[in-house]
Amino acid sequence: MDPARRLGRAQIDVFAQLGVSTILLGGIYALIAVGLTLIFGIMRVVNFAHGEFLMLGMYAAFWAFHLWGLDPYVVLFVSIPLFFGIGFLTYVLVMRGVIHASHNVQIFTTVGLSIALQNVALVLWTGDFRTVRPWHSSVVIRVLGTAFNLSQVVAFAIALALTLILFAFMKWTHTGRVMRATAQDHDAATLMGIDTDRVYRVTFAIGIACVGAAGALVSPLYAVYPTAGLQFVLLAYVVVVLGGLGDMVGAMLGSLIVAAVEVVGSYVFGVAWKEVFYFALFIAVLVFRPAGLFGQRGAETLGV
Amino acid sequence: MASLPPGRRAAVGLLGAAALLPLVVRDAFVLDSLILILMWGALSAAWNVAGGYAGQVSLGHAAFFGIGAYATALTTARFQQSPWLGMVLGVALSVAAGGVIGYLSNRLRGPYFALSTIAFSQVLLIATSRWRGFTAGSEGIPVPFRPGLATLGLGHVAWVYMALVVAALYYAVQVWLERSRLGYQLAGVREDEDAAEALGIASRRLKIYAITLSAAMTSVGGTLWAQYVGFVDPFYVFSIDLSIRFALNTIIGGIGTALGPFLGSMLITSLETYLRATFSGVKTGFAGIYLVIYGTALVLVVRFAPEGLIGLAARFAAAWRVRADA
Amino acid sequence: MRRRPVPAVVTALAVVLGVTVAAVHGQPLSGEYKIGVLEPLTGPLAGEGKRHLEGYEIVRDMINERGGVMGKKLVFAVVDAPDPTAAASEANRLITREGVKIITGTFSSRLCGAASEAAARHNVVYWETSCVDPRFNKRGLRTVFRTEIDATGFGWYNIEFIAKHLAPRFNIKVNALKIAFLSEDSSYGQGVTESARQRAKAEFGMQEVAAEYYSFTSINDFTPIITKFKQLNPDVVHHIGYTNDAPLFWRQAREQTFLFKALVHAGATGYGSPDFGRALGGDANGVFALLEPGPGFRLEALRPDGQKLEGEFREAVQKRTGSYPLGGHQLAGGGLWLLKVVLDRAKSDDLDKFRDAVMSLDLPIGSVINGWGVKFGEDGQNANARVQHYMLQWQNGQLVTVWPEEFTTNRAKWIPLGAWDGRK
Repeated sequence: MDPARRLGRAQIDVFAQLGVSTILLGGIYALIAVGLTLIFGIMRVVNFAHGEFLMLGMYAAFWAFHLWGLDPYVVLFVSIPLFFGIGFLTYVLVMRGVIHASHNVQIFTTVGLSIALQNVALVLWTGDFRTVRPWHSSVVIRVLGTAFNLSQVVAFAIALALTLILFAFMKWTHTGRVMRATAQDHDAATLMGIDTDRVYRVTFAIGIACVGAAGALVSPLYAVYPTAGLQFVLLAYVVVVLGGLGDMVGAMLGSLIVAAVEVVGSYVFGVAWKEVFYFALFIAVLVFRPAGLFGQRGAETLGV
Repeated sequence: MASLPPGRRAAVGLLGAAALLPLVVRDAFVLDSLILILMWGALSAAWNVAGGYAGQVSLGHAAFFGIGAYATALTTARFQQSPWLGMVLGVALSVAAGGVIGYLSNRLRGPYFALSTIAFSQVLLIATSRWRGFTAGSEGIPVPFRPGLATLGLGHVAWVYMALVVAALYYAVQVWLERSRLGYQLAGVREDEDAAEALGIASRRLKIYAITLSAAMTSVGGTLWAQYVGFVDPFYVFSIDLSIRFALNTIIGGIGTALGPFLGSMLITSLETYLRATFSGVKTGFAGIYLVIYGTALVLVVRFAPEGLIGLAARFAAAWRVRADA
Repeated sequence: MRRRPVPAVVTALAVVLGVTVAAVHGQPLSGEYKIGVLEPLTGPLAGEGKRHLEGYEIVRDMINERGGVMGKKLVFAVVDAPDPTAAASEANRLITREGVKIITGTFSSRLCGAASEAAARHNVVYWETSCVDPRFNKRGLRTVFRTEIDATGFGWYNIEFIAKHLAPRFNIKVNALKIAFLSEDSSYGQGVTESARQRAKAEFGMQEVAAEYYSFTSINDFTPIITKFKQLNPDVVHHIGYTNDAPLFWRQAREQTFLFKALVHAGATGYGSPDFGRALGGDANGVFALLEPGPGFRLEALRPDGQKLEGEFREAVQKRTGSYPLGGHQLAGGGLWLLKVVLDRAKSDDLDKFRDAVMSLDLPIGSVINGWGVKFGEDGQNANARVQHYMLQWQNGQLVTVWPEEFTTNRAKWIPLGAWDGRK
């Protein structure tokens, strides 16, 4: 009998390890998706350059580590305001002009931005793969036969914290309410005296701050190179659609679901079909429940 | 010709110039650039049918391009049949794929639709690269070059005319769309689908028609490309970059216009060729500069001239007319 | 006069197009011999493309110090080819605008296929130094030549090493050896892995317990695979990895205490790249990678002329990059040197004379850069047996040459690998 199918201690270990893997991976995806869902949800803008901001966040951590020996978790505290500023600037310089334009214009603005950013990185820092190797990237925590990588655990913990903070921010602060109002009905919000431009500025800045922070956190885990963002951005979109636009908790749960599909699918059928699983999931969601598992029903027909 | 509106006149003029060029210039690089401009222009026009005229902005058209490319590569390399047969097969498969995509994404609008098209093209990419037994997987397929029209093994001059015929045909299809009843209905669907439905237009069915037509046209372009360049690999022919290129040319040139895709292709393709030629040899460190320029230019054009070059031209004309009349 | 906006725009564009296209050309100066160099300098392959270009430039300078080719100084027209369309286009441009008769390159299989087709239609020589697509030479084209062995050769050497060097030292009979294949799914990974699988089974009867492919751009967690492999318990893991996934796998294997006797890779990327050592430091110990000769390489094992050449090459690379030659340098540099040898013999770039010169070459191993020999087949492929490849192993943060033993002072350690923390 196929050893993989026999039940018993070994099998429990397998489940445990796969489970841990799912959770930790889900945390990383959530970190990246949270910024995206905010931007997508409130501004209704498809930000194709999201992966490039992640890449820039990774490079920021790399250079800080390489030049000054700073640990990525220290850099994190600088990354957040830094990328808030970058997001703010990007909005003012690039996005503001197209916020009310057609989808095509928005899509291609961010695509152009994505191409430009990728290649600025290539020109400045070359295509070589860089790595950030702080002391904790090779520390393993072992609990009852399953292994946790310390960097992954921290990334997960911070992702969780960030999501919760954002959730609280959106639900209980004035600015958060204002942002949600603008998302629900832009015109009514304007009529209510809300400065929607300011809302968009803040939203975009927060979204980019999140993904920049994500960059610092994943830098000990993955290689840093100019096209590093690509592998994550599509996945982030699957998470966002799955979880429902603009829904923080949806993003977190969506991340876990996508991670689970990936991990289990890979284990059972082989890793070759990994992307097919989540794309199939994506298509299924789009066809049967496009508003996402947790989003507002019918949102997708508004299209916006 | 005097009775044709200015846009049509320009188109006839351009196509005519392209037809005459090979008689005057024999430089293979110039001809190659012309062929690529015409091919990318035709593929962009194909995208325009769905994206411009029907408002179905797809970022996954590479799916159909790849199907057309693989159809001919497999037909000629594996089964030793004519690429024309491959073209027909490619069209049949693309129409089926387009139908499936159109049907499944039927209720989706805006970014959701775009994302679903990306998902489809990526699924095809992965499936093709894994199916080693049939498609040779990631290694791709070299397309055999056998001289002759029946085997689409042509010299540069012949390729110019081949591409020209397709470009002219696709231009005509777009013009037909603009003036036909189907085109008017699609315009209604594009502008306001709910209103169109209320007026009794079968918008859901029409959207699928537009996508399948667009898919068939794209597939033909993919077949021709594969025969021209001679190598098909899944990471390129199904890539998002290609899908973006088709849409990009159209948007820069003027989305929803017949000439737009070709104008956009002219500008983008020559810009790309020029920038790459000028900058890539300078210093390896500077190799990416042309792409930075490209990306920035894209942002600027899309921001300040969203109706594309045609729109810009119209605005200048209007301004001139005001001045002339003043 | 009424203005016609569209025709005006169109005419303007046409003029712009005409000017830009016309402006794109370069003429060789007399006393110079120009060849085309086609490499990916942007896009995902840019890192390796740049290394190849460096290798070319270093050997070009060496060639010019010795009087150049055919009495003229060797110069390059370098073009960037990030994708197959660009590769074909740029090949065309090199031929019609730069007027080259020989094009060299190209690192990646997807590019060499398209570029060599374009060159063939103009009867221009395509001198490939590194793409490993096995079908490159099987298209019946008289103009294509390849100095490097193809992917099937890599797989062949890997299995050779496993069967003849490792298995006896594990005290396992070759046909009882359990081997798990893991690979990134690019054309390179597939090519090497499939040929290795084939030889392992057909010639040695090894027990294949798994064969998994993954996309190196999207793999971010090997846990499912490692968990599965742990249960299958292979003796050897044959992993063709790329820059990102190789360190990830190794790290996670260690975390999850996946034990096996050896890991074997092939090529200058992934485990064979200095980035791997930088990412893992001492933890990298033990991995085998099939490559061009690295540290420990016994120059004395080469023939005298080969020694001198190789020594000079290493010095030049050290001077320019501060490190010993990396795979990209070696493939490009070695290939370019062979081109010079051919041109010296042919004294012309006329296709027939060139081909005759190519076919007439017959140098034993140890003669030229990288310790290669040369003997081309009718299909334009340099023979596997002459392009000696070497097995290197990570030892204390460095890749050192360990096999074949006559070529090196170092010996392979940690056979079998044993516990993760025991490899010092």
